[in-house]
Amino acid sequence: MTSSSSPSRKTLSKIATNRLQKELMEWQLDPPCGFTHRVSDNLYRWIIDVIGAPSTLYAGETYQLQVDFSDHYPMDAPQVIFLHPAPLHPHIYSNGHICLDILYDSWSPAMTVGSVCISILSMLSSSTAKQRPADNDRYVKNCRNGRSPKETRWWFHDDKV
Amino acid sequence: MERQSEKARHRSSFYAAVYSEIEEVGWESLVRSEEDLTALTFRISDKKGETHFVDISLPQTYPQYPPSISADVPYNCDLHWSKTSRLKDVLEQFSKHVDSLQEFWSTINHIDRTLCVIHPNISSRSAPIHQINLGNECHLLLSVNPYKPRSLPKCRFLGPDNGLVDLMIKKWKKNSHKWNNSKTISENFTTLLEITFPGPSNVNAMEEDDKEIECGICYAQHLPVDDELKRHSGAQPDYICDNSNCNRVFHTICLKDWLRSITTTRRSFDILFGNCPYCSDPVAVKVNDNNH
Repeated sequence: MTSSSSPSRKTLSKIATNRLQKELMEWQLDPPCGFTHRVSDNLYRWIIDVIGAPSTLYAGETYQLQVDFSDHYPMDAPQVIFLHPAPLHPHIYSNGHICLDILYDSWSPAMTVGSVCISILSMLSSSTAKQRPADNDRYVKNCRNGRSPKETRWWFHDDKV
Repeated sequence: MERQSEKARHRSSFYAAVYSEIEEVGWESLVRSEEDLTALTFRISDKKGETHFVDISLPQTYPQYPPSISADVPYNCDLHWSKTSRLKDVLEQFSKHVDSLQEFWSTINHIDRTLCVIHPNISSRSAPIHQINLGNECHLLLSVNPYKPRSLPKCRFLGPDNGLVDLMIKKWKKNSHKWNNSKTISENFTTLLEITFPGPSNVNAMEEDDKEIECGICYAQHLPVDDELKRHSGAQPDYICDNSNCNRVFHTICLKDWLRSITTTRRSFDILFGNCPYCSDPVAVKVNDNNH
């Protein structure tokens, strides 16, 4: 089978760069409420401050998300983790990995950094207990060698929290 | 019982005080108010005759504690509040604040009039950031300092990876000392960047049209110009989702690339079957269509 119609790495990175620039412009003109993108020159790594929504368990607390994009964005989902210290949440591991389907199997190029951020905030907002996932210690131990959350075979607990 | 009556007494003295203070300002300036008078909106005119609205919220402990205000301004004024302050003073202070912002707004108006601003509808009176089209797919995010509107603004250049943006950043850094506060922003830009900016023209109308024909995956109207893409080099979107409520357009190459990167896509002979990333309706693309 010929795959000559598949764009090469170089072309892909042009496509990814163009799309990320457009997302960044949209973000700067109209940032999602509760989030601040820390300006940097690296288009492929965004550090975003998240402020817990009022009258939720995380009200007024600030956390940092690190969003990394590959050359194959938006075909590949961005890798999104919380920087230390990650919020205490039943779907967030202490190493910052987030168990949320749209970051893995359910990603689609129709989503954007902004829509991912809003999903994460709504996941935080609907939490009823500040606690780690039951398998936290085992999972974090398995990731000790710096494994990306995208290499994990996730199994999504429930959609209530 | 006693506590309740005390509360009621407190409420009624609060109402009486606020009523008399509104009276002082003039009822004609009051646009809206909450039933319990804890939130009031007033209208004021600035010296240029523009109308401004200011929302004032009064704490339960008013007037021991100052009210808080919000309005469509780039930054709020610091309220000076004392025991003898009244709503009238709040509005006077806000009026002065609006006057001090006139230079900021005239700078913004100048930008809107002379440069090619994208999404001017998003730019409100409070927004210091403007996106400006420089032509050749380059854009400038311009952030005017509301405290010193005529000084060197913060700029961020964005554009394709073809050296143009780097060139502009270089010039910007080299010439930024030439910025002259007594010249207009567009004059300064011409001096610093050694280029003439495109005017407002009807580019905004064009941008609106562009939006509809941008690929829903790569967000570009044209694919990169690249020999390797063969006949798709620089191509416009050529696939449209059949669902009439969706009708998103894509480059076949982008859609194919997406379908190939997920495991739920099925393949029959040389056709890939999957779902539209936006509406999830079925889509189908040919695998090899570039050899013919």
